[in-house]
Amino acid sequence: MLVFKNVTKKFGSIAALEDISFEVDKGDFVFITGPSGAGKTTLLKLILREISPDSGEIFLDDEDIGKLPLKKIPKLRQNMGVIFQDFKIIPEKTVAENVEVALAVIGLTNKEWKARVEHVLKLVGLSERSNLFPVQLSGGEIQRVSLARALVVNPKIILADEPTGNLDWSTADKIMDLLEKINEEGKTIIMATHHKLIIEKMKKRVIELEDGRIVNENSGNKSKSKKKESEE
Amino acid sequence: MANIQFKTAWDHIRRAPFQALAALFVLGTTFFVISILSILTYSSGKIIKYFETRPQIIAFLKDEVTESQVSELRQGIENDSRVKEVKYISKEEALEIYKKATASNPVLSELVSPSIFPASLELSVTDLSYAQVVIDEIKGSQYVDQVGFTASLGSEDNLGEVISRLRNITWYLRIGGGAFAILLTSTSFLVLIIIIGMRLTTRRGEIEILSLIGATPGFIRNPIILEALIYVFAGVFAGWFLALILVLYSTPSLINYFGEIPILPKNTMELISIFALIFCIEALIGVFLAFTGSILAVSRVKKKK
Repeated sequence: MLVFKNVTKKFGSIAALEDISFEVDKGDFVFITGPSGAGKTTLLKLILREISPDSGEIFLDDEDIGKLPLKKIPKLRQNMGVIFQDFKIIPEKTVAENVEVALAVIGLTNKEWKARVEHVLKLVGLSERSNLFPVQLSGGEIQRVSLARALVVNPKIILADEPTGNLDWSTADKIMDLLEKINEEGKTIIMATHHKLIIEKMKKRVIELEDGRIVNENSGNKSKSKKKESEE
Repeated sequence: MANIQFKTAWDHIRRAPFQALAALFVLGTTFFVISILSILTYSSGKIIKYFETRPQIIAFLKDEVTESQVSELRQGIENDSRVKEVKYISKEEALEIYKKATASNPVLSELVSPSIFPASLELSVTDLSYAQVVIDEIKGSQYVDQVGFTASLGSEDNLGEVISRLRNITWYLRIGGGAFAILLTSTSFLVLIIIIGMRLTTRRGEIEILSLIGATPGFIRNPIILEALIYVFAGVFAGWFLALILVLYSTPSLINYFGEIPILPKNTMELISIFALIFCIEALIGVFLAFTGSILAVSRVKKKK
């Protein structure tokens, strides 16, 4: 479904990602981990086409998204659900309105909104809070709004950039349970995190980055170390 | 989708009422002035037209001219495209006019009989610049004794001077008023750009989120254009409506004051139809301001990124 082929991205003389290659199949749950500055967010930004690679190719469903013309980027993003560490929720809109915005963006008519919004809010446990504003919610609840907004468009893939970074362990755990549930329903999830406890608990595929390179990769329980020769 | 965009635009207006009021005041004043200037331009045009088309040339006919010869001469003048209106004044009618003019001194009218007044043809030209040529041509007719350049305004020089003055006043009104209207329109345009720019700055976070979830540039831009259109239409309507009320209120007094000069239409429906035309033109100007203002503001904010 998603293929990175020898992707390199530099910011000036600093290589944020260097010669990255990996594949993600439909329905996979992949953690991208590593210390700060390893290139996790850059990798997600490349998938979201916030930035373009300097070299290499990124294929999503056989389409090279690295070379996608600017006018096709909105369509690409409409097929993705995105969750951010800083939530990126519109503070002037209610919970329901924040979710509705995503439906308006993909061009769905108002009539189709209600059922879908109710369904995702129920899924993330926010049905009772649909008319509240973000300022009236806790951090965990705001992140669930973000998750609901990502899910409501029925995306091909969900990208999560440190979604538990601003949450306590208990709230983070609940968010992870939700993501696992969504993954079990067949959604592909790529999540950047440096939360070791979460990675250990979830036992999913992990791609570990360091200084813009993949230094370790394992698929869930079956570790298949692919440390680079230089590391060995 | 249009619904949520309109709601977004309306929410922004609601949440910043003072910005909205500033826009409304400036746009309202601009379109009020434009409406009043349009009416003044219309009225001054009517005044000039009135004076220009009054009977200005009088061809005094020879006593021996027969009716058929008068009608032949009249036909010839009427066929001239430079001539607007031709009226035959018989000797008796001329006496009546004289009597009316000397009503304050009846002795003067008692001393005269119709025979001393010549019959005449009174005519007006479509443009005063044709007057001299037309006079010269009529002077050449065998049925015409003398040609006078009228009328109640006095001599040829006098009428020319009056019209020249009116033209000057109208010219100053149009140029001065036009410059003032352009100044106000430019101010409105700048205020609109500033308000939209401020709105874009405060919405930067929201715009970033919308872009990340796949909103097209049009989806992001439309509420901003809609907001500008709401300001503009409210401003156009407020300014136009105020001008309409003012003109409707003062029309009876103005018509009375100017008498037979048709400074404004006496028929209310005709006046309203003039205002409807003004509204349509102002709405077009408003749409132009809203579109160019919002697109300019969006492009400026993009450049700052």
